[in-house]
Amino acid sequence: MKTIRMILLALLVFIIPLITASCWNYREIDKLGVVAGVAIDRGKDGKYKITVEIVEVSGGKDSKTESRIITAEGKTIFDAVRNGISLSGKRLYWSHTKVVIISRQLAVDGVIQVLDWFNRDAETRADFHILVSKGESAKEVLEIGEKNEDVKSFDLEYMIENQRSLSKAPQTEIWEFTNELAAQGVAAVVPAIELYKTNGKVVPRIMGTAIFKEDKLLGFIDGEETKDMLFIQNEIKGGLLIEQEDGAEDAMPSVSLEVFNSKTKVEPTILQDGSIQMNINTETIVAIDEIGGSENVIDEEGRKKLEQSAEETLKTRIESLIKKVQSEYGADIFGFGAKLREDKPKVWAGVENRWEDIFKNLQVKVTTKVHIRNSAMMAKPLEVGD
Amino acid sequence: MFGKSRKTNETKIKKDNAPKKTKNESTLTKSLENNISLFKNIFSGDETLIIRRFQNKYLAAAKCCILYFDGMVNTEILNENIIQPILSGNLAQEISGDNLLEELQYKVIVCGSVQATADIDELIGSITYGDTIFLLEGYEKALIINSKGWKTRAISEPESTRVVRGPREGFNESIIINLSLVRRKIKNPDLKFKFKQLGERTHTKICICYIEGLALDSILSELEQRLDKIDIDGVIDSGYIQEFIRDEPFSPFETVGYSERPDVVAAKLLEGRIAVFVDGSPFVLTVPFVIAETTQANEDYYNNYIYSSINRFLRSSATIISVSIPALYLAVTTYHQEMLPTPLLLSIAASRQGVPFPTFVSLLLMLIVFDVLREAGTRMPAPIGQAVNIVGTLVLGQAAVEARLVSAPVVIITALSGITTLMNIGMIGATIIVRTFLLLTTSFMGIYGYILGFMIVIIHLMTMRSFGVPYMLNLSTFKNHNAQDVWIRAPWWTMTLRPKIIAAKNLVRQSTRKNNRGK
Repeated sequence: MKTIRMILLALLVFIIPLITASCWNYREIDKLGVVAGVAIDRGKDGKYKITVEIVEVSGGKDSKTESRIITAEGKTIFDAVRNGISLSGKRLYWSHTKVVIISRQLAVDGVIQVLDWFNRDAETRADFHILVSKGESAKEVLEIGEKNEDVKSFDLEYMIENQRSLSKAPQTEIWEFTNELAAQGVAAVVPAIELYKTNGKVVPRIMGTAIFKEDKLLGFIDGEETKDMLFIQNEIKGGLLIEQEDGAEDAMPSVSLEVFNSKTKVEPTILQDGSIQMNINTETIVAIDEIGGSENVIDEEGRKKLEQSAEETLKTRIESLIKKVQSEYGADIFGFGAKLREDKPKVWAGVENRWEDIFKNLQVKVTTKVHIRNSAMMAKPLEVGD
Repeated sequence: MFGKSRKTNETKIKKDNAPKKTKNESTLTKSLENNISLFKNIFSGDETLIIRRFQNKYLAAAKCCILYFDGMVNTEILNENIIQPILSGNLAQEISGDNLLEELQYKVIVCGSVQATADIDELIGSITYGDTIFLLEGYEKALIINSKGWKTRAISEPESTRVVRGPREGFNESIIINLSLVRRKIKNPDLKFKFKQLGERTHTKICICYIEGLALDSILSELEQRLDKIDIDGVIDSGYIQEFIRDEPFSPFETVGYSERPDVVAAKLLEGRIAVFVDGSPFVLTVPFVIAETTQANEDYYNNYIYSSINRFLRSSATIISVSIPALYLAVTTYHQEMLPTPLLLSIAASRQGVPFPTFVSLLLMLIVFDVLREAGTRMPAPIGQAVNIVGTLVLGQAAVEARLVSAPVVIITALSGITTLMNIGMIGATIIVRTFLLLTTSFMGIYGYILGFMIVIIHLMTMRSFGVPYMLNLSTFKNHNAQDVWIRAPWWTMTLRPKIIAAKNLVRQSTRKNNRGK
């Protein structure tokens, strides 16, 4: 009896995972239509139009990677995806997808209907990069334009990932976006992509930020402003601070400062009159990497002056960005509300329902600190003889 | 099975394997000629039997005869130590008593071992083992003179296990020489040798060797019991015995160890294990055997312990890699493509373009091809060896990929799996079987099948015993001294204890107070 029970138990242990283990299927690797990226547009009659970039490899000794673009329509995203089979011949495989580009029109209408399938399906990953097309169509980003790599979507992925040393666009993976949608007191941001003409060629360019309120697109801010936004969000991983003064006689030469490390602390305080003020303290470590003149900004005195002026510039820029967002969009992209909820939950409970209005008139106090660590390979400015 | 005629034949097969003459009825008589013809009869049809009659110059009564087999004896001993003294010595003067045979045995014959007997079976046993029979007119007894002198292979480095550092001698086919090699390493009266004879027709000598006070009595008596149960007509190699005495007869994993090196056997004896020597085989068996021993090379103990630990670790992981890597490749490329980095996915997909067989089939085929090559290479005459290389590398590797019969990654996986198999020669059979098993389970169920299959293998190993000792001894714990000789080889000064359970009788290898490391 006991042995029978043991055998049954063992069988159960082995069989249950067989049934419950979710998605598995024998597929040969060369029979997959690997989707590298997808662009989603609004089609006719309220349908969705998805444009899929499929990686095509041709084997043998000199294997070649190419991409093929197909466009399918469907009443829902999944419908469109499955309709793609009749065009591609292969079943589309979504686990290696890098980017999802959403057209401006769809983003304005709301992205939940689009992104639900990407979050829900077992094959799709939660770490796609999500982009919003600044132009009318998302499709054209994939279709038109030069590419460096064999596959355009891989190009875009590198572009996004290397933004960390430029800081002119945020990085948003799909899970972050859905998190921000769900979170209270923070609005979602997504990098913006556009087609850009350079040297007579049209190339995609990732620059600037699309600002969402709930799941609907409100508008865009440009690359420089994005950098300031990242400063506030404590998301700066690199990038430059440019110091340029014009006009005055004793103006400093223009200097490029490379950001090594930056830390921002946002602290809400309650003022005496009961209103809320956000204190933003940033501390940035930079290095002088370019000096556009022969004045000495490296010695003690010059460095002080440079630091001061850099602090000043950063401060005004942050302040003006906040003002702009407050007045133009009213969407709390900096997550001030979330911060308040964390630090002072009681206050937050009181203002939760009115947060939108409060944010528009929120007082901000910005303190910036810039430390110059070194001047790269040279200890002096270039000297100019006679 | 093959019809009626076959069946009638089968009924004629005798049920016992005894040779036709088990006991010799005849006895020795006083007549020398009768005795000689008795032996002639016994060995009729055997023309290697040499009969030499001779007589002393001075004493006519000393009419004698020696019998031996050509090639089995040292003729120098015969000529100078037996024939010459009896032939030319003045026996009439030297011999005083009546018992001429005894006088000859004690006073004349110059040889290390001379023994008088009347037992015909004993005489037959001795003469077939290279001794000389000495017959004397008028005596019902015969002398057995130890004149063994057949040619043996020189003691040389074993082909199967070479070392860079360590003793280079290996066992040969003579049991006596093999025992002497071990005795020379362990000079201690506690080293015991117990002889047995196995094989109804071959009368093969086997020897149980152990160190008293270290080897467990229970294991020793179990071993003797298992050996006594063996009833076979012939034992040609220790492999016969290995299969008779092993635990878990249906498992692909070996539960009896073997070695061709005296240093290895001596070290195992010192750990409390018991060795079984078999005459005619250079491979000496050791019991009990645990799985960790498959990865222990003798050189580990002679080299720097850090270097040894690296090697030990590589060897242990090689077996796991070789059973796992084809299955994991199959799982990842046919079930879980999302686990691959994108560039790898694309390059594997590219290499699979136009390959007609499923990954599972091509992996299985290539692994079989590898084993075919390995087997062909092992048993091939050396001059043809090059052909195997050409076939292996050019035809099956390069050409198969270029002809798109298999994809390049499959060839790489096969090669990796094959090479790692060879790193652990003792486990080769088990590795091949487990590898194929895991490949099968994976082909049904992906990575889940791999995990399931691996679990089944581990459970099987966990249930195994070798002479009462758990086969996975010391693999499940890192406490105390247990793990120091498994995945790594700990420094000698820390290995103060012998392996537990095996040497339960006396665990202490080093008394720590004498320890003088670092001086």
